[in-house]
Amino acid sequence: MTGRAEFIERIRREVARTPGLFGASTAPRPAHPATAALTVRRELAERWPEALDRFRVEFERVAGVFHRVPDLDAVPAVIGGLARERGARSLVTWDPAALGFDAASALARDGLEVVAARAGEEDEAARLRHREQAARAQIGVTGADFVLAETGTLILLSGSGRPRSTSLLPDVHVAVFGRDRLLETLEQVGVMLEALHADPDRAMSGAMINFITGPSRTADIELTLTRGVHGPKEVHAVFVEAP
Amino acid sequence: MAAAAVRASLMITCLGDVLFPEVGVAMVRLLRRLGVEVDFPEGQTCCGMPLFNSGYHHDAAQVAARTVKLFERAEHVVVPSGSCAWMVRSEYPGLLKHDPVLRAAADSLARRTRELSQFIVEVLGVTTIESPFEGKVTYHDSCHLLRGLGESAAPRTLLRGVSGVELVELPGADECCGFGGSFSVRLPEVSASILDKKLANVESTGARCLVACDAGCLMQMGGGLTRRGSAVKAVHLAQVLSGEGPA
Amino acid sequence: MSDALRTPFSGRAGAALKDAFLQEALKIATTKFIDLRKESFSGFPQGEALRDRARAIKEATLQHLDVHLERLADHVERLGGTVHWATTAEEARGIVLRLCRDRGVRTAVKSKSMATEEIDLNEALEHAGVTPIETDLGEYIIQLAHEKPSHIIAPAIHKTKGQVAELFSRELRGEFPADPEVLTAVARKALREKFLQADMGITGANFAVADTGTVVLVTNEGNGRMVTSLPRIHVALMGVEKVIPSMSDLVVFLAILARSATGQKLSSYTTLVRGPRRAGELEGPEEFHLVLLDNGRSRQIASTLREALYCLRCGACLNVCPVYRQIGGHAYGYTYPGPIGILLTAMLKGNASVRELAHASSLCGACKDVCPVRIDIPRMLVELRGHLDREKIAPWTERVVFKAFRRLLLSPTAFRLSATVGRWLQRPFVRQGRLRGLPLLFGRWTRTRDLPPVAARTFREQWKDLR
Repeated sequence: MTGRAEFIERIRREVARTPGLFGASTAPRPAHPATAALTVRRELAERWPEALDRFRVEFERVAGVFHRVPDLDAVPAVIGGLARERGARSLVTWDPAALGFDAASALARDGLEVVAARAGEEDEAARLRHREQAARAQIGVTGADFVLAETGTLILLSGSGRPRSTSLLPDVHVAVFGRDRLLETLEQVGVMLEALHADPDRAMSGAMINFITGPSRTADIELTLTRGVHGPKEVHAVFVEAP
Repeated sequence: MAAAAVRASLMITCLGDVLFPEVGVAMVRLLRRLGVEVDFPEGQTCCGMPLFNSGYHHDAAQVAARTVKLFERAEHVVVPSGSCAWMVRSEYPGLLKHDPVLRAAADSLARRTRELSQFIVEVLGVTTIESPFEGKVTYHDSCHLLRGLGESAAPRTLLRGVSGVELVELPGADECCGFGGSFSVRLPEVSASILDKKLANVESTGARCLVACDAGCLMQMGGGLTRRGSAVKAVHLAQVLSGEGPA
Repeated sequence: MSDALRTPFSGRAGAALKDAFLQEALKIATTKFIDLRKESFSGFPQGEALRDRARAIKEATLQHLDVHLERLADHVERLGGTVHWATTAEEARGIVLRLCRDRGVRTAVKSKSMATEEIDLNEALEHAGVTPIETDLGEYIIQLAHEKPSHIIAPAIHKTKGQVAELFSRELRGEFPADPEVLTAVARKALREKFLQADMGITGANFAVADTGTVVLVTNEGNGRMVTSLPRIHVALMGVEKVIPSMSDLVVFLAILARSATGQKLSSYTTLVRGPRRAGELEGPEEFHLVLLDNGRSRQIASTLREALYCLRCGACLNVCPVYRQIGGHAYGYTYPGPIGILLTAMLKGNASVRELAHASSLCGACKDVCPVRIDIPRMLVELRGHLDREKIAPWTERVVFKAFRRLLLSPTAFRLSATVGRWLQRPFVRQGRLRGLPLLFGRWTRTRDLPPVAARTFREQWKDLR
């Protein structure tokens, strides 16, 4: 059984035997990540319409379905519509505090069972209950922490009130976001990730970050593309215009 | 063209000397027509690439050392083979790095050495050559000329410059023909299988001639074409440009 | 026709060439991947600069690999994860088995991991009474079929949909048509249960970020997310060369990895795992274990194969390799096939293991052209062949021939003489101006191709008339 010291020492010895193949440096990092993140935010505050247009093109290119509503009050109707079309009976959502709206009451009128995660309810019983509900639900509704235009990607941080399975187990994933989430390039995502991790315990209540680019897919059988292997078969993005 | 005659020494290559002398002859006639004074350092044998590729580097270095000395007074060295030109330009300096004098000679030789089409276009500045050669041809990019020396334009430019030639692009032109030197006899079935694919592409073009700038590729592809009784002839670029290819 | 020089590898290659199903599958799949990659990079002008940067990051990281690994370990431990140090494949297996035993693990769901294939983990788990379940569709298929993967990213590329339907029908006791959509839905249903019930999730890692202790998984199906969120234990097995310094480095690789592998801008899911679940989380593993694997990698840091440590396991080199495209992955005989596979096999199993494989290349350079981190595979293959000579691993018969050849090349007289001798010896074999049916080594050529005869007059002999 190798211990850490012995393992690292072997590597250190090998590294010391050679200067390497060529002079090389790693990627430049922002000296002040928080400031750099603010700069990105400011840029996007100006450029959000272009970013949104780009996002829509890329999102649809990976088979995402794009929706646009004037304000948060209009969101439940979109979700209700999707549920009706698919004969869905049961939904799971993030904590309304994380979503910015409460889907439960609006959708209960449609006869849908809506189960929202609740930040702070994380005991074993809640855990088991949630797993059973998430496995049963046909639609999962989340927010999006970043929305990347360049690739049509939704970036979700897991955490309190924002379970991982909401965007994973149901057949349909709906992500609701506003203009303040938009980013244009992967490079900007890098800046935001640096900023988040500069003080990770404060910035993130969970241990997972998911980049979601379209539905689950595979081409493992004769290179024929099929969707919904393990993750959702459909991904919907609802853009809320009102700032 | 330059006022003073350009002088070029021929590196004819082992395959060129023994199996494809007609290519060398065509090359000489062509270069002379373009105003080049050609000479042929007689002690030459081979660039040593077969030794190098199979891992016999110490042996390849000895051949390299001999070659750099043979060509040390050449103003330009012209090679009718992308792989040999690559060997000299890309690998000789590394092979001779332990001897400063030989290393310097290798660096110098690398600078003065070019594959034929590169020499014509870059040194002579010629892109249009008159030739009686006529017909539809297709061009195969040899791996070392294409990827080793980064050259895909010069041969095509020269082919297009011949008025009677109609150049059609070969599907998968940049795909290996399967020669790979000793690979062709170490793994002959795989080599032949790769070749079959290449020749199917060649025949799909409807060209009557397949043109390449490397004797190894021509040996492989030509050998496959005649074995399957194909009407397509494999010729070297020099033969098209000098008008000496098979009718 | 029997061939005294036939070797195990050439035998496997020969069998692959005769397999019509495989030939068709390889043609379609590799052509598709090539086109997808080409299209993706053609609309991506920053791509070339990003490849340079990615290569530089890999090189720079290797220059301080020990430091980065220590930082990674410190962060993982700070997050409540456990780091294990496996020098050999055996140790790595032992670590996972011990964990299974101590935690009462009966089933483990696996996301696709070449590293776990490399150490033959599944077999070890099964012997220990733990059921490993591959959940990547391609891996699931070959697990049911008791086969090994034939391609780094599309493991079941050699199977037709008919074969998959048959397989599922037999193993899952149903009657399924040869329809990829239906078969995918079958797998989704069958595996969903397993995800929810499994005790342990096992993954590899595409990257691990030293700055933050984050393990990164690049997938398309969603199984990577499942196995790292549903079971109570997550074990990530990772080669030491996968560590990168920062999040800023990560996005450089993300920009080109999926493009190189499948032509996608990003894969469907990029999952960043930072230790076990946190206090406020409803879901996620209670325990996170990172198993760092050496298994011959560190020995390459100062060797001629160093660059092979940059490999991102994207599979692009396989798709363009004229040899791989003809024979597929199984013929190579080891975990990693294709051009990079030859180097990785030498790295992990020693130079003698690639005695034949080192020559399974025409050195065409197509691999180097497409490698996202610009690994100079042809150069390293030639170096590897050099090792086979210097370490006297190459057969003595071959070495004798090449040394003789060298003597020929160093003496113009001998060279001239050999042409004359050849001209004389070839006479019985010349047919219509070509050589056919040659004996011995030359027969390997003439079995399938003609050879031009030694010219009546060599160029040198004609020169005196030309000058």
